[in-house]
Amino acid sequence: MTLRRKLLSACLGLLPALALGAAPGVAQAQGTIRIGMTAGDIPLTHGQPDQGFEGNRFTGIPLYDSLTMWDLSRADRPSTVIPGLATEWRSDPSDRTRWIFTLRRGVRFHDGSEFNADAVVWNVRKVLDREAPHYDPRQVGLTLSRMPTLRRAERIDDYTVALYTSEPDSLLPINLTNLFMASPAHWERLRAAAPNAEAAWNAFAANPSGTGPFRLTRFVPRERVEMARFDGYWGEKAKAERIILLPIPEPNARTAALLSGQVDWIEAPAPDAIPQLRARGMRITSNVQPHVWPWQPCFAEGSPLRDVRVRRALNLAIDREALKQLLGGFMVAPVGSYPEGHPWFGNPSFRIRTDKEEARRLLAEAGYGPQRPLNLRVQISTSGSGQMQPLAMNEFLQQDLRPLGVNVEFDVVEWNTLIVNWRQGCTHPSARGSNMINVSFSSMDPFFGMIRFWDSRMAPPVSNNWGFFNDPRFDEMSHAVRNAFDPRELDAALARLHAAGVDEALFVWIAHDVAPRAMSPRIQGYIQPQSWFVDLRYPHIRQ
Amino acid sequence: MSTTTTAPRRPPTAAEAELAVQARQAPVRSQGYWAGVWKRLRRDPVTIACALILLLMALAIVFAPLLAPHDPYQGSMLRRLRAIGTPGYPLGTDELGRDMLTRLLYGGRLSWFMGILPVAIAFVVGTALGVLAGYAGGKVNMAIMRVTDVFYAFPSVLLAVAISGALGAGILNAILALTLVFIPPIIRVAESVTTGVRSLDFVDAARASGAGAFTVVRVHVLGNVLGPIFVYATSLISVSMILASGLSFLGLGTRPPEPEWGLMLNTLRTAIYVQPWVAVLPGACIFVTSICFNLLSDGLRQAMDVKA
Amino acid sequence: MIRYLIRRVLYAVPIALAVGFVCFMLVQIAPGDPINAIVPADAPGEVVEQVRREYGLDRPLPVQFGIWLMKVVQGDLGRSLATGRTVWSDLSTAIGNTLMLAVAAALLGFTLGCVLGGLAGTFRGSLLDRVAVSAAVAGVSVPHYWLGMVLVVIFSVQLNWLPAMGAGPGGSSDWAWDWEHLQHLVLPAVTLSVIPMGIVTRTVRGIVAEIMNQEFVVALRGKGLTRRGVFLHVVKNAAPNALAVMGLQLGYLMGGSILVETVFSWPGTGLLLNAAIFQRDLPVLQGTILVLAMFFVALNLVVDLVQTALDPRIRRS
Repeated sequence: MTLRRKLLSACLGLLPALALGAAPGVAQAQGTIRIGMTAGDIPLTHGQPDQGFEGNRFTGIPLYDSLTMWDLSRADRPSTVIPGLATEWRSDPSDRTRWIFTLRRGVRFHDGSEFNADAVVWNVRKVLDREAPHYDPRQVGLTLSRMPTLRRAERIDDYTVALYTSEPDSLLPINLTNLFMASPAHWERLRAAAPNAEAAWNAFAANPSGTGPFRLTRFVPRERVEMARFDGYWGEKAKAERIILLPIPEPNARTAALLSGQVDWIEAPAPDAIPQLRARGMRITSNVQPHVWPWQPCFAEGSPLRDVRVRRALNLAIDREALKQLLGGFMVAPVGSYPEGHPWFGNPSFRIRTDKEEARRLLAEAGYGPQRPLNLRVQISTSGSGQMQPLAMNEFLQQDLRPLGVNVEFDVVEWNTLIVNWRQGCTHPSARGSNMINVSFSSMDPFFGMIRFWDSRMAPPVSNNWGFFNDPRFDEMSHAVRNAFDPRELDAALARLHAAGVDEALFVWIAHDVAPRAMSPRIQGYIQPQSWFVDLRYPHIRQ
Repeated sequence: MSTTTTAPRRPPTAAEAELAVQARQAPVRSQGYWAGVWKRLRRDPVTIACALILLLMALAIVFAPLLAPHDPYQGSMLRRLRAIGTPGYPLGTDELGRDMLTRLLYGGRLSWFMGILPVAIAFVVGTALGVLAGYAGGKVNMAIMRVTDVFYAFPSVLLAVAISGALGAGILNAILALTLVFIPPIIRVAESVTTGVRSLDFVDAARASGAGAFTVVRVHVLGNVLGPIFVYATSLISVSMILASGLSFLGLGTRPPEPEWGLMLNTLRTAIYVQPWVAVLPGACIFVTSICFNLLSDGLRQAMDVKA
Repeated sequence: MIRYLIRRVLYAVPIALAVGFVCFMLVQIAPGDPINAIVPADAPGEVVEQVRREYGLDRPLPVQFGIWLMKVVQGDLGRSLATGRTVWSDLSTAIGNTLMLAVAAALLGFTLGCVLGGLAGTFRGSLLDRVAVSAAVAGVSVPHYWLGMVLVVIFSVQLNWLPAMGAGPGGSSDWAWDWEHLQHLVLPAVTLSVIPMGIVTRTVRGIVAEIMNQEFVVALRGKGLTRRGVFLHVVKNAAPNALAVMGLQLGYLMGGSILVETVFSWPGTGLLLNAAIFQRDLPVLQGTILVLAMFFVALNLVVDLVQTALDPRIRRS
């Protein structure tokens, strides 16, 4: 406590209330971690969060579990898929569209009901079976685009369930990390008091029940969510007693909130605030993560980006070192969706680097130059999970490309809107004439990292092939990936696909995030895995 | 308060009432009046100073291409967020390493444009409608003034945000929204001063002598009401600049990379920890401009007020 | 008097209807199919068609307005596209928070404005007058969103005296009237109060100066009337107009807090509007504007009535 604060407290000590409240950040209940998120609103809490992966990070994984989960316990290696509510799984060799999942026994939802095969079937039907009483159209878009081959589930016995896909899909277990298991019993109870299913889901969002290590105790729309440790958790229990989540989309407000002790942890501090945060004793954490911050091109008729020379030129034109400076060093320059040395990197012949001369030559070859500028319109967001510093970074790119005769203009929309538009495609009115879209993505799941963008069947409205890229070679390669049930075979198929994607310059690869977070030194035990997610069971407040 | 309309209405603000009084006394004005105005203005150092500051700013932003030391769009990460007083960058550099002085000069163009244009359009449209309502009276007055009342039922910031929020971000939409915000108050002032002037003897005399309505309005009414309405309109410029920059600050006005003070304030927000003085510069520019317009408007009103 | 009252109240009805129409038109002027303003972009086709019928979007505009109006009158402002919650559920808490902020700012601004304006009007031409006038001009000229940023840097970040954002440790629903919560109100309220402070100072100064110049006041003072007597006289005569200005200012504060709420993440209608604009959540945008405008209409009515009651001269027409 500074002298000034002491003086102030002494002066205002006349107010009886002050004796209790004191200045911000002094007295806090033990073991309560308050987190400032970048989202503008609280991510949906009914089990299938919105707000991108920040939603999964804060209202998905802590409240719910999925059949398969990410191992978030290590900082020193990429996180891998581990058993969650399923203890093991295998593809049926006689029918490659059938997967058998063995469920964990003795798991209970927050409301006390039991997790079993029926619960799995119920949760698959909530997004896939239009006839189901609890079918929720609002969850479909958020969920199915992340597991587009899943078709239905079937109970084999109480603890065994079969999942069916529309075609052989070796990636299903990874996709399933996004299907969170909500409590059917709890929903049915709420349904009894609600006029319809939609109202029941709204009630469920305000009062959810999953199997996760935390249970929701308080939900104040647009302001905060409080979660308490779930003592009946099946796995290692959480250390912190309570987690409080606050949406603070404005980076300055986040920094100010941390510095004034209103929160203990903020997501994505503005790089310019980091020296100040360090000077005030805050800890800045970061780690490499499977993240790509790209411009995704439109391949529709009339788009200048149909020309591979233009796409390659843009990849060569960007000064990523300067961008890194803008970000205070908090980024990694990409050479593709995966780093060199990664089993899925492959052997691309096109090397992503900064070579403005070559970029200029390629643009000239494609017919562009200072006399005939290339006009690009990019749809970007103001903030968002994984979007880093979207406005400043995009403005930098605009400025960096201008001398090459590339005129970039932006269509700025809100983050959730951008995600929705991402599933509508570049020919939809929501694109408002944009021929690029700037949505950062996670690449830890190869479906997320490649197939959903490069497979023609993943064009909107199915998934995120926003640009309607359509090349039979890529469809074939993604087919090969999905049919590779042997791990080594799968790696090889993915490496081929990635190398081809880099050679075709299917993105303008701009940055990998290192997910900077700033937290108070009072937080102990925090582990930042090489992942978009964090396991909130580990961090706690020093006593 | 005398009003020709039948429905009750909010009483005029102090400024409106003062203007109505001025307009009614207007006919006594002559060449000696304007000489008196100028004489009073000259004796008012604050107003003169404000006028000079505004003139200098206007010249600076008009001649920005000649004065600006750098390119407003080209920066460099190597020299981002330099402090005020850095050699070559007298006001420092912004978050993308662009010269602040240059950006502020160019930014003034859009800020002034977005601040003044809505008031200018509203001045023309509002005066026309207000004089029409005041001169024609009766049903025309009723129709115009009732529609005006509807827009008066929205707080100005809310109306601007609502319209530009619905239309979507963009300079034109922001200007349209602000224009719609300023038309109703100008109509009110114009209507009230015109109503005052219309009932005066000399206008009656002109009408009795067979002069056409157009001539009467042009010669006798406009000549006497334009001054007060103009003074009122200048007082709106300050509000307009703050609102326009506010819309840009919210992301509803200008888009990057166009320099505009409100947007610059927004994008420099995170730099407030590194270079607080650089980060507050655009806000200071808005502040200075707005305060000068306000004081100038006050000075004009006082100088033209025959009561003084 | 009674006739005037009835007439004034009846007059508010067409205004309210017209305000409703303007709000209804907001969705119509928005680019794109209005249906996209009511259902989420990824809603299935049959849901879209059902909603289109329900809202009569395939019928002529006046019919649509009628349907919309019926819903609004019944308290149905629609559902948020982003969250699926009813607009009213979010709006009702937000309005309370904005009202709290506006009233706090009004108390602060009006008190300061009356004191400064009264002193300045009484001692016209003095140094005090100049200070008050300068403060008033600064108050109405300062971009308050910028002032808010500066205050946060000084008082939250540098001095660490006051919180920078939010409505208290438990959010607005946990609000309590203790210092722990009230301190969250300080910076936004101060920031928001500068405009009414400036306007009230100017208004009160003008009114007071005019009254002080009236011959009989000068005469009264000459006769040695006590300061107290003069003061009471001034207050009595200045009150109606000053109250009218302050009433309207409260309305402007309610409707104009969007920038300040954005800077301080104050969970009121302004923050809700800001989110709605960027999410293109038109039902929320429309509902918020409608309710705020209706509040303003009602406030105007109350101000008129109070002013009439205080000052009978206004009634004659």
